[in-house]
Amino acid sequence: MSENQPTTTDRATQGKQVPAIVKLAGIAKSFERGKEQVRVLEALDLEVPAGSFEALMGPSGSGKTTLLNLIAGLDRPSAGTISVAGTDIANLGDAPLAKWRAETLGFIFQSYNLMPVLTALENVELPLLLTRLSSKERRRRAETALRIVGLEDRLHHHPRQLSGGQEQRVAIARAIVNDPKILVADEPTGDLDRKSADEVLTLLEKLNREFGKTIFMVTHDPAAAERATVIRRLDKGRLE
Amino acid sequence: MNLPMLAARNALRNRFRTILTVVGVAVAILAFVSLRTVLDAWDLAIESSAKDRLASRNKTSWVVPVPKKYLDKVRVELADEGLTAASYGTWFGAKDPTHKDLFFATISAEAKSLFDVYDEMIVPEADKQAFIGDRTGALIGDALARQTGWKVGQRVTLQGTIYPGLWSYTIRGIYGAKRRSLDRGIFFFHDEYLQEKLPDHRRGNIGWLILRVADAKKGSEISRRVDELFTGSDIETFTQSEKAMNLSFMATFSAVLKAIDVVSLVILAIMTLILGNTIAMGVRERTNEYGVLRAIGFRPRHLVGFVAGESLTIGFLGGGLGLALSYPIVTLGMGRWLEENMSGFFPIFHVTPKTYATAMLLALGLAAVAAAWPAVGAARLRITDALRRVD
Repeated sequence: MSENQPTTTDRATQGKQVPAIVKLAGIAKSFERGKEQVRVLEALDLEVPAGSFEALMGPSGSGKTTLLNLIAGLDRPSAGTISVAGTDIANLGDAPLAKWRAETLGFIFQSYNLMPVLTALENVELPLLLTRLSSKERRRRAETALRIVGLEDRLHHHPRQLSGGQEQRVAIARAIVNDPKILVADEPTGDLDRKSADEVLTLLEKLNREFGKTIFMVTHDPAAAERATVIRRLDKGRLE
Repeated sequence: MNLPMLAARNALRNRFRTILTVVGVAVAILAFVSLRTVLDAWDLAIESSAKDRLASRNKTSWVVPVPKKYLDKVRVELADEGLTAASYGTWFGAKDPTHKDLFFATISAEAKSLFDVYDEMIVPEADKQAFIGDRTGALIGDALARQTGWKVGQRVTLQGTIYPGLWSYTIRGIYGAKRRSLDRGIFFFHDEYLQEKLPDHRRGNIGWLILRVADAKKGSEISRRVDELFTGSDIETFTQSEKAMNLSFMATFSAVLKAIDVVSLVILAIMTLILGNTIAMGVRERTNEYGVLRAIGFRPRHLVGFVAGESLTIGFLGGGLGLALSYPIVTLGMGRWLEENMSGFFPIFHVTPKTYATAMLLALGLAAVAAAWPAVGAARLRITDALRRVD
């Protein structure tokens, strides 16, 4: 590790210096709304150390989801550079970016977004369809992911046969099945009751601590943010 | 699970809508197959025409007669030029009062020579002789016999239209045919019976000459020779092969045939729109899901594949159902009825392998066309916009 490499210290890394897995420098993002330019993010710098569990909070319209989308390679910045897991994703073409997302990133959505025609096992297997793995190996990995989230007894259930918490755990299994370096979660407990939300947050903690997954989570929920190792606040497009 | 299976499963998500669309496609394919089979059957009817038979009519029109003495002249003049048989027929146009809705050809003919020009006709020898020997005897096709229930020896009375009055006959024979070149629904009777009931000024005329030649390749040459015999006379003739005659007869239906062609294409266009609408609705409802798929690494081409796969699945199911129905409905149902009742127009009425293949290829091809616009729309979606959309 070079001396000028960005580092951070927190309880997850137990005082050790670790390299940043997410590095944003001078990020700006604006949208056109009619003839008006709306600036959502301005001159934003951010470094997320590998292995951390970070929560991003802020009022509605502060730019949280926009920032998450930029880190996840779903959108491109108007200015600045983004490096995630060593790849400059702001300058990747569409196809390499899609490949990068498939290999590097796990995405957890607020509304689970499972495919209703597929079973839990098939939903989890979905990202692996883009790989060259055999169907047997895909199934084995999907079963492992579902076992990690505690749903090994729900392999063949369809989403409509699962509770909200179970659906979100299937979605988490889908996010980790390709063994990504980083998980991004957009309000993962937003649609859940307290008990289910706690179960999901405990699972995210487990993935962070036991499996070393870096997690970057957008949330409105202070109780959810408390489970993270770092809490960041975004307001009017700037990190406080 | 694999990507094509995922596309196919998506097609069955809204089962009611998918079933309606599949049925819509099936009905369109069935209608297309039926109409194409009508056109094919007409073509087959023409192709089935006897190649060694000529028809000579009044040059003015079919409805204007020619003198019967022309037959004698042709027999004499062309005996050494490859003419093997000559006969004639006259359109009588009678109806059976007990089967008023039944259309069948009634033709007065020269009984003896009839069997020479229609060598494909199959009649028991005893019946044949009975027909030849009975001036009021009639010879009917087996298809007509099935429709009317008439038996050999039965007395029947027809109502004349062109030649008014009631005309009584005894059925003396029922003919079949070795080839499809002969309509098995004709009512033949003796021209002598017709002539003797006509007023003097109408006697001695016939509808057309029927000639058979030894070498079909010389048909056009002999046709020209026949016409030359009467060039410059008051009544000139126009002679052509039976196939050409059938073609010119079909030409009078050309507008109908063209309309059938156009209607079959319109039906396919409607099918494409129905299918396109279903696919577009599905894509709109699943915009959020497409956003998710893109977010986890699927590419625009994968979405195009899903949308096209869904459309092709529906096209395949609808096309398959349409073709499965077309065999019992078109070939076994319509086909048998038409072959029995309208064998002159439709001697063979069944769906050909070519029509089956064309219909299935069109079902799949048009399904791909129907998917094109929604698929391009899905592929162009911005991921962040798609994830925001909730229907």
